[in-house]
Amino acid sequence: MTADRKIRGITAWLLAGAVLALTAAFLVSPRQTFSENENRWLAEFPAFDRESLFSGQYMTDIGTYLSDHFPFRDFFMGLKTQTELAEGCREIEGVYIADDGYLIERYEKPVNTEKIGEILHTFAGKIEALGEERESGLNLRLMLVPTASCILSDLLPDHAPGYDQGETMDRLQELSGIRMIDCGPFLREAREDGQIYYRLDHHWTTFGAYAGYLAFCREMGLEPVPLEEMESRTVTSDFKGTIYSKVNDYTAAGDTITIYENPADRLTVNYTDTGETGGSLYNLDYLDQKDKYSLFLDNLHSLIEITNETAETDRELVLLKDSYANCLVPFLVRHFQKVYVFDTRSYRLGPSGFIGEHPGVTDILILYNMNTLDSDLGIRAIY
Amino acid sequence: MVFSSIPFLFFFLPLCLLLYYAVPFAAKNGVLLVFSLLFYAWGEPVYIVLMLFASAVDYANGRLMGRFGTTKKRRRLFLVCSVVINLSVLAFFKYADFLVGTFNALLGTSVTKPGLGLPVGISFFTFQSMSYIIDLYRGQVPVETNYLTYLTYVSMFPQLVAGPIVRFSAVNRKLHQRQIRREEIENGILRFMQGLFKKVLIANRAGALWESIRALETGQTSVATAWLGAAAFTLQLYFDFSAYSDMAIGMGRMLGFHFPENFRYPLAAVSVTDFWRRWHISLSSWFRDYVYIPLGGNRVSVAKHLRNILIVWFLTGLWHGASWNFVLWGLYYGVLLALEKYVWGKKMEKWPAAVRHLYTLLIVVVGFVIFVFDDWRELGRYLLLMAGCAGSRVWGGECLWYLRNYAVVLTAAAVLAFPVYPRLKEKAGQLPAGLRAAAAVVCAAGYVVLFLAATAYLVSDTYNPFLYFRF
Repeated sequence: MTADRKIRGITAWLLAGAVLALTAAFLVSPRQTFSENENRWLAEFPAFDRESLFSGQYMTDIGTYLSDHFPFRDFFMGLKTQTELAEGCREIEGVYIADDGYLIERYEKPVNTEKIGEILHTFAGKIEALGEERESGLNLRLMLVPTASCILSDLLPDHAPGYDQGETMDRLQELSGIRMIDCGPFLREAREDGQIYYRLDHHWTTFGAYAGYLAFCREMGLEPVPLEEMESRTVTSDFKGTIYSKVNDYTAAGDTITIYENPADRLTVNYTDTGETGGSLYNLDYLDQKDKYSLFLDNLHSLIEITNETAETDRELVLLKDSYANCLVPFLVRHFQKVYVFDTRSYRLGPSGFIGEHPGVTDILILYNMNTLDSDLGIRAIY
Repeated sequence: MVFSSIPFLFFFLPLCLLLYYAVPFAAKNGVLLVFSLLFYAWGEPVYIVLMLFASAVDYANGRLMGRFGTTKKRRRLFLVCSVVINLSVLAFFKYADFLVGTFNALLGTSVTKPGLGLPVGISFFTFQSMSYIIDLYRGQVPVETNYLTYLTYVSMFPQLVAGPIVRFSAVNRKLHQRQIRREEIENGILRFMQGLFKKVLIANRAGALWESIRALETGQTSVATAWLGAAAFTLQLYFDFSAYSDMAIGMGRMLGFHFPENFRYPLAAVSVTDFWRRWHISLSSWFRDYVYIPLGGNRVSVAKHLRNILIVWFLTGLWHGASWNFVLWGLYYGVLLALEKYVWGKKMEKWPAAVRHLYTLLIVVVGFVIFVFDDWRELGRYLLLMAGCAGSRVWGGECLWYLRNYAVVLTAAAVLAFPVYPRLKEKAGQLPAGLRAAAAVVCAAGYVVLFLAATAYLVSDTYNPFLYFRF
């Protein structure tokens, strides 16, 4: 047999060997239950029952289990990304590989705008009725925060397709009839002085949130606390957030998280769902985990009640929000004796009922980011 | 279970092959049968009964034909019985909704659709099984006396769900006696891997490009992008389908069988007639041998010949799916083939090769647009876009965007759609021994790199995170 035919034969057995080696690695390697890199629980081996067998779900689940625990999973996912980057792809898993190291999520075509607008309108009607019973009335504002794909659009690759967030915002204002706070200009201005979005996560930075705070103060006639008067601390320089986990480009360097605290505040933070009480708006335990953004307001809580003994006013704010607001709250607490923070994804009792029962409430702010607004189930449970 | 998946590639196939090679010959068909049934049940835990039933009917009719088929009339009785049952099962499970829908649309009635799910591979295994009974009737194959052997043939997992349509006559001898040679296994492994690479690295990604272009709104799609989308779908379909055939043929070899080739570079065809000699060969030859020729083929009057062409292409279209757009797609080809036969076929031979390629590709690409949209409005919209009648620009930045992101994939696909690889291989074969060995080493490295890349795509594919849920 000639040498080249021999080599051809060896190639075949090499490939067969590679398949068997990976199978063997699967069989002998210990099972992980949680993927730190993807920040999710991995599938468990499905429980057997007749119904799932006949529907085929059992087999699908076994397939998911095998893939989830595939040996060198992180390596292979990184390899896929590096292959596509090397090919010159500028979009991976719906994320644009933008300039200056930014990974920016594509703004998908919104499909629920009409529905959300209607829900907000219903909510606004309830609030108006409640406000009429009160001497001071109720100030209701809507702040929809544009995301990086809008504000940093100049960093996106040329011709990257996308939809206009501004159009959706205008439509929502029209439908809901709620007064809108436009933080776009503030974010654009702040951008000149610092980083307003994380490069590897879908949230705004605390500096970006401060720009949102300025917009809020301007609208509400409040005097904003200058950033220099706050105590700032860089708590990590290794934050690799949600977008990093989508793209799996392991060569990307982490983001820096800076937190701000006002020394003048005397806070009591009551997490009503777990019953825990503390004095800080941050839980730095999350710094040891992948999911570092959770350090703001301790991640997810259906209702957090924040009292500031030294607040400027005796006004009370109800904040209906997604996770974008979690790093804005530290700026807001200066101006309100009480801030009630609702996560409507998990708070199921209806915030309008709560507002009706709490005559002290003077202000209501609805705050969501534009990117997840359309798919956010929380805003649909707002009343 | 699809071939290009982790459960199949890393668990099912290795286990099956190891057992298959370990047992003595007498038990090999048994191993193959058990794994084939497992394979089918994995995706169709309920409808497997249907496959068992259909194969039992053909087997029984075959036995009866062998035992009592002393006259042609009697033989025909068993044939008709078998074919009617096969086609009824197919009609019921694949076409019931379609028939009821058409009935309702025509008569304005509102009969409820049965809403049965399509059993995986039913069109393939029905046609395979029918080839046996028809060939038996014609005296071209012997009666199969062992039901399990027959079932092994019908259910054989490599070609069960997506072809090629392997006729009984092609594997009959090997079912009873076959040698499994090392070199065949090696060739089979390499062929399988080629199919895997084509499917995972090219077809799936061309498909992703098509899906994103298809989802664009009319206003966002320039004419160039619409054509790019149609081309991407054509490449997806070709690479997807031929990759499955490659993997099937490769696994056949590993098991000691020789399945017929199903594709011969169809996108390199120089006429529509040529295209259909190269695309899904096992299906077009099935229709040729069991429908077209029995109808008289082309050895009849022109009118009857045209009738035969239309019948065959109506059926070919319908075979692909229970929807009118498939019928339209089939008839589109019927008409074009008739035109080539009777109008411009002779003149075409004088055209330059480039023109003939372009002509064929245009027809094929437009054809697959008809193929892909089962909604008339969607189809109309897309065809208007391609024709430049939807008011869109001829060229837009978005086209550049897609070209940039898919440049490597599209280039690789375009090159591999033409017989470049076999030509290179042939050239390499003429090199001096030393260089041949060097080329083989380069080739080996290529296989390993592509294998790692394909695995990376398989692993990432399942990565479907609910990031916002936990973050």
